[in-house]
Amino acid sequence: MSNAEDRRAVTTRIAVIQVGVVVFFAVLSFSFWYLQVVQHARFQEMAENNHQRTLALRAPRGVLFDRNGKVLVENRHSFTISILREHSKDLERTIRVLASVTGIDPRDVRQAIDRHRSEPAYRPIVIIDDASLAQVAAVTARRLDSELPDVVVEEVPTRSYPTDALGAHLFGYVGEASDAQLGDGVESGAIVGQTGIERVYNKLLMGEDGARRVVVNSTGREIRTLEEVAPKEGRRVQLTIDYDLQKAAEDGFRAAGFNGAALIMDPRNGEVLTHVSLPSYDPNAFAAGIDRATWSSLNTDKLRPLQNRVIQGRYSPGSIFKIVVATAALEEGLVTADHTVFCGGGATFFGRFFKCHLKGGHGSVDMRHAIEKSCNVYFYTLGNMLGVDKIHKWAEKLGVAGKTGIDLPNEQESIVPSTEWKRQRTGEKWYAGETISVSIGQGQVSVTPASLAEMITTVANGGTRVTPHLIRAVDEGQGWKTLNPGATADKVAFRPETLAALHDGLWMVVNASGTGGRARIAGRDVAGKTGTAQVISNQGRLAARNSGQDLRDHGWFVFFAPKDNPEIAGVIFAEHGEHGYLGAPIAKHVIETYFAKKEGQPLPTLKPATPVAPEQDPDSPPALDQASPIALNGFGAGGVTQ
Amino acid sequence: MLERRLYHHIDWALVVAIFALCAIGLVQIYSATGGPTTTYVTQIYGIAFGIVALLVCLSIDYRSLADKSHFIYGAVLLLLIYVLFFGAVRGGSRRWIDLGVFNLQPSELAKAAVALVLAKFFGDETRRGQLSRGDLIMGGLLAGVPALIIARQPDLGTAVTLVPVLFAVAYVAGMPMRIFGILAIVGILAAPVAWKFALQDYQKGRISTFLDPEQDARGAGYQQIQARITVGSGGVWGKGFTKGTQGQLRFLPVAHNDFIFSVLAEEQGFAGVVVTLGLYLFVIVRALDAARLAKDKLGAYLVLGVLASFSFQVVYNITMSAGLAPVKGLTLPLMSYGGSSMIATLAGFGLILNVRMRRFTN
Repeated sequence: MSNAEDRRAVTTRIAVIQVGVVVFFAVLSFSFWYLQVVQHARFQEMAENNHQRTLALRAPRGVLFDRNGKVLVENRHSFTISILREHSKDLERTIRVLASVTGIDPRDVRQAIDRHRSEPAYRPIVIIDDASLAQVAAVTARRLDSELPDVVVEEVPTRSYPTDALGAHLFGYVGEASDAQLGDGVESGAIVGQTGIERVYNKLLMGEDGARRVVVNSTGREIRTLEEVAPKEGRRVQLTIDYDLQKAAEDGFRAAGFNGAALIMDPRNGEVLTHVSLPSYDPNAFAAGIDRATWSSLNTDKLRPLQNRVIQGRYSPGSIFKIVVATAALEEGLVTADHTVFCGGGATFFGRFFKCHLKGGHGSVDMRHAIEKSCNVYFYTLGNMLGVDKIHKWAEKLGVAGKTGIDLPNEQESIVPSTEWKRQRTGEKWYAGETISVSIGQGQVSVTPASLAEMITTVANGGTRVTPHLIRAVDEGQGWKTLNPGATADKVAFRPETLAALHDGLWMVVNASGTGGRARIAGRDVAGKTGTAQVISNQGRLAARNSGQDLRDHGWFVFFAPKDNPEIAGVIFAEHGEHGYLGAPIAKHVIETYFAKKEGQPLPTLKPATPVAPEQDPDSPPALDQASPIALNGFGAGGVTQ
Repeated sequence: MLERRLYHHIDWALVVAIFALCAIGLVQIYSATGGPTTTYVTQIYGIAFGIVALLVCLSIDYRSLADKSHFIYGAVLLLLIYVLFFGAVRGGSRRWIDLGVFNLQPSELAKAAVALVLAKFFGDETRRGQLSRGDLIMGGLLAGVPALIIARQPDLGTAVTLVPVLFAVAYVAGMPMRIFGILAIVGILAAPVAWKFALQDYQKGRISTFLDPEQDARGAGYQQIQARITVGSGGVWGKGFTKGTQGQLRFLPVAHNDFIFSVLAEEQGFAGVVVTLGLYLFVIVRALDAARLAKDKLGAYLVLGVLASFSFQVVYNITMSAGLAPVKGLTLPLMSYGGSSMIATLAGFGLILNVRMRRFTN
């Protein structure tokens, strides 16, 4: 082979390499064109997702005020610690490190992550609500070391109830939205009202979360803010509640030493001044996520602190129901207030003897004195004349049957029987004999404290149904706007003589020789009525004597003041208080506080209760041999059905 | 030494293209590191020293260099062995000799030295016809010994760049095509064995990750995915100088080094990519012209040898920058940050210019 041939071969092979290089570069160019031009949009989006983060700025919930402007529910700042899976390089390691530096159980962390696993990875999963400063410091230090790049600490507004357990059932509590609560502006992880006003007015109170779009680097550190939409605070809401009256009522219960419920209203417009349900709980415990131990102890507590007794507890009204029967008889025109009945200590109806509580009998009594003395025979007689359906009709008109329509969730229906009701329920006809027990609030009458408050309010204002409501005004952003509750549909304007008889009788209960003397306030003309709700029939009581259950009767006291043109009316329910008259001092304290406040006097203080000998209680259930034989169908004799 | 006559034969077009690429690289390093940082300044020094090295390699007739190639080769081998035992350790490997001002990386010098010694070996004017098996084995040893030492540092990337040097020179020198075929078959057969015994776990990881980056989206596959996002999000015109989010916010690691081309693609877009690719293509094709025009086989082989490792690195790095090849610590010559690499590369181009310039001399 010659040198020239050799040379040619070299030249050829170099040319081959040149062509190869050109082809390869063409392929490379094509690849870049494909990535940068054809697939640009896709990669553009991925790049943006890489470095842009949208952080939610939680809106503070609206502040709740009492009717005088005192703050009842507000917000405080707290820290949450969350995991942002999008930034996780090693989620297991993060869980371990986070759990160990904050001193929490890694299983809880895993559970929280599992719960939100299906959500997009850029949405932070809250691991610790209301973190302590020590936890925040521990996490922040490790974040700076880039040791926990996927953990974020956020400052969030958290609900705060400065009055602690006061009015807890009224305000309700907040919690993370359940799956069923999502939608309509509620996103996963949002905090929404779960009970009480927090729930009913959640939309008003929730506000609108803001957002901050930030640029972050590869370790998740924020570099700068692109844009920020400030959160909109929830509406400020003024309640009808009067903090001082609320406190007076709760103090009253504490002094009296029993649990129970109270609903006190302005009878002129239905504004709720006081709403008490005891025992209570601290809604602050829920504000930043309740821990499991507290939650389960609240749930398993035999005293049922989570139940709002005002609207969810149903009890036998006892003698309070006599007001309904009296109203029905007078308004139906069956009798006048002067109608007298002779009470000899009992009477026979349909072949059975029904006892009065006073062994010797009340003698000849008219309507006013029958109410004052709570004479059973008088009301047996009226009830027998009316029949159960007329009683039911007037119970409904006075608000004792059905729901009051108060703006709180999960109100129970109060039950006053009727022939129709019994047929639907059992398929059996109503026996006239059953009406006798109903007419003194025994038998199958089962009502909420709220319904009795509604009834006494209607009686107090002369027969106008006013729906109890809790909100007075809302600040929509341009100052307070008073809410006018819609006028109630059914008005029962009583006849003047009905009104006079009822008001006189009820006044005498407190101011003459009735059972409500403990609510008497000189010059205030308090009117009221006591009652006892049997927890169990007398036979049942004997049987269950040793069961360990609290079988003591409940006490009732309904009231209004002053007698003419009343300004305050309501109910005190004394759970296992045994006697209705024991609720009267609570009412008295509230009424005194009301007038002291109105007239600018110093508020009364509650003297420690002095133990007194039990007095004879006419509201106590009639003696054993007379106990209602017609307690049927799952309603133990005047039993408590909740 | 540099006669006036020779000066006229310098390939100015190639020189301009080379320094245009250096300038583009410098600009992107400025952007990727966030301003006139130490890295940026060091790179300027690297280019300055590289120009000196280029001038030195240009001035001495390549034939006299080839005559002394065995000394140069021997010296580089000694340096490599020295580094293996006494080199500065960084990132788990011994690759550098600490010279105070900057770190010398002897493996970069090895590329030029191997090119020189292979050119001398295969370019012997007394040789005729096809290469014998013995020639190939000898050539293999000349390239293989330094490659093995470099692989021990460990720096597999640089070691591998010596392989194309051997093949390029041997190919043009007339290696029979069937030997390529046989080597290809042996390579395929040896791959599973190499997988099992020769590769470290992290190396296996890189390869398996390349085949399916999503399997390890936060680990080894991360860089590959991020490289594609970086390039793809650049679009036609790019995000603008220092405006690239991927590089600036460090979603793409070592942006000023291995992934400098990705950063370019992000900030300058497809337009910048086309210009830069065009410059590299021009440099390679133009340098191959120098090989074709060379006065003797020695010159042609020398150009090819130098160009082979350069081209291999360019092609591999750019492919990797687009996330289309497994991530490997191979820099982009002329653009990536790195003093030794810059000096060695420019020195290599000094040799190429040298050959072309002296094509008419005796």
